[in-house]
Amino acid sequence: MTAQTLGPNAAGVAKEPPPERPQRARRSAMVVAPVVGLAVVFAIWELYVRVFDISRLTLPTPSSILVHLVDEPGFYWRHAQVTLREAAMGYGIALGAALLVATFMAHSRFVERASMPVIVLLQSTPVAVLAPVFLIWFGFTHWPKVLVAAVFCYIPFTINEFTGLRSVDPNAYELLRSVSAGKVEIFAKLRFPQSLPYLFSAGRLCVGLSLVGAVIGEMFGGSTEGLGNTARVGQTRLLIDQLWGSILVLALIGVIGNLLLAAVESRVLRWHSSQDLPGGPTAAR
Amino acid sequence: MARPTPGGSRTSSPGSSGRSIGAAVSIRGVSKWFPTGRSHLHALDEIDMEIGPGEFVSLIGPSGCGKSTLLRVVGGLLPYEIGTVTVDGTSPAQARDTKQIGFAPQTPSLLGWRTVRRNVTLLAEVNRRGALHPPLSEAETLELLETVGLGDFLDRLPKELSGGMQQRVSLVRCFALGAPVLLMDEPFSALDEITRNEMRYLLLDLWERTGNTVIFVTHSIPEAVILSDRVLVMATKPGRIVHSETIQLPRPRSAEMEDDDRYLSHMRSVRRALGEVSAR
Repeated sequence: MTAQTLGPNAAGVAKEPPPERPQRARRSAMVVAPVVGLAVVFAIWELYVRVFDISRLTLPTPSSILVHLVDEPGFYWRHAQVTLREAAMGYGIALGAALLVATFMAHSRFVERASMPVIVLLQSTPVAVLAPVFLIWFGFTHWPKVLVAAVFCYIPFTINEFTGLRSVDPNAYELLRSVSAGKVEIFAKLRFPQSLPYLFSAGRLCVGLSLVGAVIGEMFGGSTEGLGNTARVGQTRLLIDQLWGSILVLALIGVIGNLLLAAVESRVLRWHSSQDLPGGPTAAR
Repeated sequence: MARPTPGGSRTSSPGSSGRSIGAAVSIRGVSKWFPTGRSHLHALDEIDMEIGPGEFVSLIGPSGCGKSTLLRVVGGLLPYEIGTVTVDGTSPAQARDTKQIGFAPQTPSLLGWRTVRRNVTLLAEVNRRGALHPPLSEAETLELLETVGLGDFLDRLPKELSGGMQQRVSLVRCFALGAPVLLMDEPFSALDEITRNEMRYLLLDLWERTGNTVIFVTHSIPEAVILSDRVLVMATKPGRIVHSETIQLPRPRSAEMEDDDRYLSHMRSVRRALGEVSAR
């Protein structure tokens, strides 16, 4: 009779599950990760400028830009408010228009086919060239900038929302049809909630695009205020700190906007797999 | 909610309202074709079927024999070319508009953003004006959820449930509509054998409480025999009914009956009919 090699559990010792990192620690790590990423980029930038002795005119160090920002907070706050308002209005207008158009497109093949050439046309047009056109139409108001921001955001919002509204679960759709649910009911109970991950995906992309739109509008749409204007003035008058300060504030606004939207998304899309931490949801299996 | 059925007497549930909501389904000479390019696929050929109020009928047959198509024809989800279908005396379209038909699809199809509690009331929330029968009350729905072991999961999201639990929610959603006729399209096909076996008896438990007429599509012979009052075997090309097996097992059914000679005899009979269908 040969002796069998038995593992530690052969004697009936209860096997302990491997220690798992607490949920809170994992979430904290997720919050810290982007900060670490940004810190690394800034550190490399700072080192590169210092080690290779790059001219301040070509690329100032991030620390010098930060010092400049701290010295002139009112200036940047005033101009940031202008750009933020234009970007937010453009974002809102694009979102509203896209929801309307995508809803009609999702419900009618005719509307879909009629809308597609217009969307492709808009997509193929360099939006920056529209700024002078809007300037002629609306004069030296905030509208040319708002509309450039809106045009920038409109396409991703429309395409994503349309895709989301069309990507309906056929079984759930048939289930609602089996009790003669109306189109409005199917939209409210199924299509729209199911499209939200697509809409949020576009929403995050459009945070940056709306800022780009507002800045381009300010640069080409005749503006005396806003961060696009301060950057343009900084470039033409070689005010390097102002140029880079404007860029950094714009980037900061973009990051904050994205973080706020991500916070809303994690609440609204709590049900969606995109919000699960690696390892999946805690299933009651 | 309990009432007599072709299969025998049922037990009543505590707190049940005693209502009998089954309705008759009549299918006479129904044929259906699907357009396939220039020709047509003959999906159903002169189907004749009378289902009594509160009867549990299973459709079994090889893939492509038209079981699911027939289910959708009865449910008013697919049109048919020839014949007559009535659900409690009305057309399938009218039955659908008046919410007389509950549907359980192959996948649970739960809405991910709704909790268990809100998923089971989904069908009751839409087309309220059309409903001929009231949906189950909140207390009755909760009782059904308790019955299937989901009492502690009312506020969970579908992604937090296992496949078997999701299918249980789907079943309760179907029953909670309060429709007299329930159409079930292989609701357990995606489950493992152990869970599937457990689900059969949960379904029987729910059905015995509510008394609906059920048309159940399946590929499983044991499932069809233990659940049904009658098993209809379908053949393919074109889809037609070739054998009807009336199950002589008493109600309520239990797992012990799977050792009963009558159960085994029905199993053999249905298997033989399916074998003949496959051999053709």
